[in-house]
Amino acid sequence: MSEQVQDTGMVLKIGHLYPTLMSVAADRGNLYSIEKRCKWRGIATEVEQIFVKQTPDFTKYDLILFHGGADREMELASRDIQAKAPSLLEAAESNTVFLSVCAGFQLLGHYYKPFKGPELKGVGLLDFYTEGGNTRFMTHMALECDFEQTGKQVMVGYENHSGRTYLGPKAQPLGKVIVGWGNNGQDGFEGATYKHVFGTYLHGPVLPKNPWFTDYLIQLALERRYGKVELAPLDDTIENEAHDAALKLAMQFKGTMSAIEATPWKR
Amino acid sequence: MIKEDTHSTNGKIASPLSLERARLALAISAGKLAGASGRLLGIGGGTSLPGLIARRIDPDVLKSVVGASKAKKIVITGSNGKTTTARMTAAMAVNNGKRVSHNRAGSNMLQGVTSVAVNFADIFGRLNSDVLLFEIDEGTMPLVMPEIKPDVVVITNIFRDQLDRYGELYSVAKALDKTLEDLPESSTILLNGNDPQVANFGLKAKAKRLFFGLETTEIGTPVPEQSADIIRCIHCQEDLQYKVAYMSHLGLYSCPNCGYTLPPLDIAATSIKLAPDGEAPTHVELRTPQGNMTLEISLPGLHNVYNAAAAIGASLAAGFEKDKLPAALVGLKPAFGRLEKIQAGDQTIYLSFVKNPTSFNLILRLIAQHPGKKHVLLAASHTIVDGEDFSWLWDIEVEEVAQDIADVVCSGNKPEELAMRLKYAEIPIDKITRIADLETALDAALKNAGPGGTLYILCSYTPTNQLRRIMQKRGWVKHVWQE
Repeated sequence: MSEQVQDTGMVLKIGHLYPTLMSVAADRGNLYSIEKRCKWRGIATEVEQIFVKQTPDFTKYDLILFHGGADREMELASRDIQAKAPSLLEAAESNTVFLSVCAGFQLLGHYYKPFKGPELKGVGLLDFYTEGGNTRFMTHMALECDFEQTGKQVMVGYENHSGRTYLGPKAQPLGKVIVGWGNNGQDGFEGATYKHVFGTYLHGPVLPKNPWFTDYLIQLALERRYGKVELAPLDDTIENEAHDAALKLAMQFKGTMSAIEATPWKR
Repeated sequence: MIKEDTHSTNGKIASPLSLERARLALAISAGKLAGASGRLLGIGGGTSLPGLIARRIDPDVLKSVVGASKAKKIVITGSNGKTTTARMTAAMAVNNGKRVSHNRAGSNMLQGVTSVAVNFADIFGRLNSDVLLFEIDEGTMPLVMPEIKPDVVVITNIFRDQLDRYGELYSVAKALDKTLEDLPESSTILLNGNDPQVANFGLKAKAKRLFFGLETTEIGTPVPEQSADIIRCIHCQEDLQYKVAYMSHLGLYSCPNCGYTLPPLDIAATSIKLAPDGEAPTHVELRTPQGNMTLEISLPGLHNVYNAAAAIGASLAAGFEKDKLPAALVGLKPAFGRLEKIQAGDQTIYLSFVKNPTSFNLILRLIAQHPGKKHVLLAASHTIVDGEDFSWLWDIEVEEVAQDIADVVCSGNKPEELAMRLKYAEIPIDKITRIADLETALDAALKNAGPGGTLYILCSYTPTNQLRRIMQKRGWVKHVWQE
């Protein structure tokens, strides 16, 4: 990384939605991953943080990040995001790339009905709904993704959610579950996509350990502004080792609902 | 349980009571034996095994032993600072001439807590102690509290921790708060007033609430760090305004919407002078209900000011004599793995057990104040104790200290995760080595540090233990249970 990087002149505009409200599981690592992988290729990034009560024109962003939070934060985000919804929908239609994780993912759907408490309205950008379960999926995860530009790839991460997500006809799953539970623990799928909108339950955070996916998002986001883009290759030795280690670990946990028994000392 | 004594002497051989007593005696004996064999074989210090074995034989062992004791029962819980706060409190009790039973090695789940009863009681379940001091994991509290019925409960703070074990922060907090409701009026709950969530605990409790914390603008930052959790009002969800943030979400906060603010502090550090080089001592002026105190704390960092204030609060609530408390903080050695300074031949090692973003950030910032570029060994393990999900590595402010780092060896069974995190903090790849085997990694890191050099080790729980065992073999440290 120390050698001189040639400036490409390209700028990636990132909108980071609710950076403090929705930030529970260190998902900001996704932002770091995007920023650094752009920087190392001579691509500039501009990050704008978007807080509650703000209603920017979301079509100005090439990439929007929307991460996880606990139910309490999610309630607040659900209320606030209704004013942002029309512009978010417009951005999605204009091919802005979205990466949404966990609660952020759930809020891009139609609604989230917690196990207890009132229903939280989503944006309806992705065609699915989510219902809270009385148990939690907390374990290592691996899925098989197959996008036209990337071919078959394995995505790894860690899921930690009680919500069960059910896709409608307009949303495609992000991938097929290899290990873990995914959207609802039943249909064998995880996450959702529509146009360039991606949603997943994977923490980890998801991007650092899946550099192929990070680059896919960067490429899609740049192409929205600059047309066909070729990303310079990076040395991903460490990232791929982390990916492979996570996959190996996930395989060891196949079938477990919770990698850690919630209270192993309780008999 | 005490009243059983009157029954037991009247000669009924197979009465349920004598059976109960026999079972208790057997449980304690078996537990003690397990601990002794563990120590003899060098496989463990008997910190949780005695409790495990004893509970198998008599599930009521903790309840029986503690219930029969007239000692003051002090419980210390929360995310961070439990071990050191408990040690400080123990030192204060000893200074007051009290005999203390304590899970000193920090084994703080149900079995470790039960081990206190097993290790310190005689085989009849009698304790010869004036003070029972329990450090208890915050998630274990709902299980243990009904068995202990403490006189004093200290809650140090609640930070983002072990999300892979407990699911989310609020559920842990809620369950913890609930345990306070059953305490009698005679008990005292000592809460961190700087923690917007903890300060609101015990509203339904009959027990008396006292608050400790910091109350100065000499130190701290204007905004809480990224990994801070409770930065919105717990009542109305409005963003809290901070006059000053001390660490994570601890600070002087108020809600601009509903006016929620920290309660008046009963035990307050009103002036804090930290040593400029990241070392000790720290000079503190402390306000207490029994008058002001001047403290000299021989453990470095702001977190130890919290620990000291909490320990003084607990000691006062337990009725210890005020004037004998400050001396306990002078010459106090760090607990195992708490920036523990270890002499390794002509080299110096600082060993730190870091388990969540808050403790990691604290130690990184403290170390950054030490002179020169740092040689570092990082080790993380995914185990049932350490946790499975290491997402939280990305909540650590590695970027803040990246410039201060000379080289890093990454070890444990997650070396590539650690290395990757460092890479994205733009620590040059050629300064990062990955060595899974801990002993090899330790030697490589010491080699990096060079003759007479200093090595900083930061690791999760299991590698801390493993590294310490390696250092024991080399004669650099004593066994945990010998300290």
